[in-house]
Amino acid sequence: MSDGSTPLTRRSVEPVVFRVLTLAFTIFIVAYVLIPIVVTLVMSFNEAAQIRFPIKVWSLGWYGDFIASPQWTDALKNSFIIAVGTAVISTTAGILAAWAFERYDFAFKNVLYILIMMPLFMPGVVLGLGVAIAFGGLEIGGVSIYGSRGLVMVAHSLWAMPLVFMLMEATFRTIDNRVVEAANDLGAPPVRTFFEVVIPMVSTGVISSVLFAFVISLNEFVMALFLTDRDTQTLPVLMWLSLRSAGTPRLAVASVILALTVFACLSLIMLWYIRQLRKVSR
Amino acid sequence: MTGEDRAFTVARAAVIRRKRAAPWLLMLPALIIVLIFFGLPTLYMARMSFNLSEGSKLFTPGLSWANYQTVFSNEVFVGAIWTTLQLALMASAATLVIGYLFALLVWLKPAKWRLIFIGLALCPLLISEIAIIFGWWMFFPKNGLLSFALTSSGLISDKISLMYTEFAAFVGLVYLTLPFCFFILLSILDGIDKRMLEAAADLGASPLTIFREVLLPLTRNGMLVAFSQCFIFTMGTYATPSALGPDTLWTMGFLVQEQMLGRNNWPLASALSMVLVVLVAVMMVFTRALATRRATLHV
Amino acid sequence: MTIAALDLQNVRRTYGRVVAVDNVSLTVAKGEFVTLLGPSGSGKTSTLRLVGGFDQLNGGSIRINGERIDHLPAYQRDTATIFQSGALFPHKTVAENVAFGLRMRKVDASETADRVKQYLGIVRLSGFADRFPAQLSGGQKQRVALARSLAVRPAILLFDEPLSALDLSLRLQLRAEIKNLHDQLQFSAIYVTHDQGEAMAMSSRVAVMRNGAIEQIDTPENIFHQPINEFVYTFIGESCCLAVRLGPQPTDGAGGRIDLSLQGDHAPGDARLYIRPSRLRFGPDAADLPNRLKARVEFVEFLGDMNRYHLRAAGLELFADHAGAAVHRAGDVVDVGWQSQDMRVFR
Repeated sequence: MSDGSTPLTRRSVEPVVFRVLTLAFTIFIVAYVLIPIVVTLVMSFNEAAQIRFPIKVWSLGWYGDFIASPQWTDALKNSFIIAVGTAVISTTAGILAAWAFERYDFAFKNVLYILIMMPLFMPGVVLGLGVAIAFGGLEIGGVSIYGSRGLVMVAHSLWAMPLVFMLMEATFRTIDNRVVEAANDLGAPPVRTFFEVVIPMVSTGVISSVLFAFVISLNEFVMALFLTDRDTQTLPVLMWLSLRSAGTPRLAVASVILALTVFACLSLIMLWYIRQLRKVSR
Repeated sequence: MTGEDRAFTVARAAVIRRKRAAPWLLMLPALIIVLIFFGLPTLYMARMSFNLSEGSKLFTPGLSWANYQTVFSNEVFVGAIWTTLQLALMASAATLVIGYLFALLVWLKPAKWRLIFIGLALCPLLISEIAIIFGWWMFFPKNGLLSFALTSSGLISDKISLMYTEFAAFVGLVYLTLPFCFFILLSILDGIDKRMLEAAADLGASPLTIFREVLLPLTRNGMLVAFSQCFIFTMGTYATPSALGPDTLWTMGFLVQEQMLGRNNWPLASALSMVLVVLVAVMMVFTRALATRRATLHV
Repeated sequence: MTIAALDLQNVRRTYGRVVAVDNVSLTVAKGEFVTLLGPSGSGKTSTLRLVGGFDQLNGGSIRINGERIDHLPAYQRDTATIFQSGALFPHKTVAENVAFGLRMRKVDASETADRVKQYLGIVRLSGFADRFPAQLSGGQKQRVALARSLAVRPAILLFDEPLSALDLSLRLQLRAEIKNLHDQLQFSAIYVTHDQGEAMAMSSRVAVMRNGAIEQIDTPENIFHQPINEFVYTFIGESCCLAVRLGPQPTDGAGGRIDLSLQGDHAPGDARLYIRPSRLRFGPDAADLPNRLKARVEFVEFLGDMNRYHLRAAGLELFADHAGAAVHRAGDVVDVGWQSQDMRVFR
């Protein structure tokens, strides 16, 4: 041993203490993250109407109740429609803008970048309030915009679009510009090049964008709370409103359904990614 | 220049013009969304904050500082501003410590654990805030899981409730911001060569010394960014503190919602929102300035 | 007069104050293989990109088969580029890559299939039609790129340093293949490279470029044997440069005395003498040569079938190649000699 000057005890005690602390922290962090998830999952199989531990009788009763209740299934349907709309709007707008930023030089690039990213840093309360007061009284063709699903889609896009934009900008940066030039060179006009060459090259990014936008919209409830009415309210909004009155295991069922949808989306991204990997490399 | 040349110069200019127009065309949908549904409402909100609220109407047009005077003089609002800042500060600090340790853990552990931990860190990000609130809502009360676990294991004899305490709100907020902090710091740590630690350990430095002398300076900017991310996020959330915290825990977000939906006082809600936006903006500019100054000093 | 495949007249491209392409005029006859040779930043790639339509020129004109095309976007020009990276479409198979240009030109399906087969055969990749680019080696990728460009039968092929990313043996092999294909198919081409070996081996004519302008354009033989100026001379082939001050007592420019004797009259003053290292003789071989310099051997490099002697005379450094066993060692003082026609003097 060359480090004779170091006391032997300190050297041997340190790693043990270190290992114990690491283990303790690992347990803490795993428990912390999983507690609300596991509690919700367990409670959704409770038969009683009260939130109360321990659970005495297990059943799928509250799932049946959820499916049988038009109020809750309508809310779920609204959530889906709005999430799909948000995904379409924000992916289209975000991808096109990201392509413009990657491919072209133009005036005010930095200012526009900040402008597009800014809504992402705004609290949902502020965005919801702003959109609500600006479009609250507006009617088009006798139909009030306020309370419509379309308005919520656009509002949710204020968060989803910058994320898509950020993701796709980074993705576009990874593609070889020469490949795009080669397509042009072989006779493909810009639009055709974009759809036949560029988009297939970044398909994983596009799929991820669509699903992230979908998930953001599905989970969001502060803006939706400001912008929906009884007929268009989303599942998280309904959950929030019922939590304020009284919590029942039905809420746990709703939580589980929301989470399952999200994880289904995530699995889709993973599957697509694996498929692409396979396709490109053997 | 011959006539032919001139004609081709014109044609060439048209190609260049088309090329110049292309990015604007591509950005059009994004700009419409941002300008009409973000820019316009923000201006509208700014204007609204100077209107008056009288009687049963939503607002009466006007031009006065009355709403801002209310926000900065009324005990409730001033209290809410302090509460919000305090809560955001404390929660962000806690998130930073936990997130840093978490990122450090994942960074130092063998690669096979990495994916599992990253999946774990994604959970709070991918699950709706309302579902998380509800999860804690079933964990903290008297008949909740915490109380049940403690009594049945014999650690305490009487049921306890931590529901509707500042601690519960705090736990909920940290949970929400943890992934931001974790991913920012992990990406910074991933940029550091791990062999540097081995080299330092070889030279006889203790883990604490290595942390202080090697890791801390390298991750300082990342910590700043992570902290400000959490701070900004926490300032804007209102659901978690209002659902898990005590009834007296009024944050700015909560009061905006209360004035808007509960009292129908649009001008006051707008004024409060404006103050919130300004605080967020100040925080962003502040960290940015600090981060760049540090960068020039240390690198 | 036949119409040129490509005709550039006074082509100019500037970026702010930087002149990338400076009044370049160049014609490529049908079936001709012209190389643009120059160091990086000499404007050769910029010129190629102007022809391909990836960049817009500021002045001058470009004609392909007599038709003015400099106002057209890249996708309307009858050119096909082979990029350094290959630039294959990663999500398309080899066959789909080759078919792409034909599809864009609305060639019908059976003709497309025939041509894909034909050109994959030409580049000897017939069995690879269903592979993806990621499954190919670097050389195979470049051959697919070649087939993809050849398949559209463009008026002119543009090569943008296609071999510079490959390793040496592959580079030599592909270079021979491209030359063979050119002999076979007689396509017109512009080939951009900074590798003079490639330029010499493949080209009908070579254009040496510097600072955005063409310094000399001629056949490879003439470029090598009759370089028009010092830049061309030094850029083509290896050379030793002796920066000397001529006079009754020749020095190395910094004042160090050297033992140099030259044939014929040379005006006194600063001059740079260039000699190809392969033409330098020394030891007994140098004794009866008209130009001589006394130098000391610094060290010897073994290069396989020959030795390279690094020599020094006062402040002058030069090297000479000598086949056979090493005849001198470091420290030896030797006579170095050369024929007058092997030396160029620039002032």
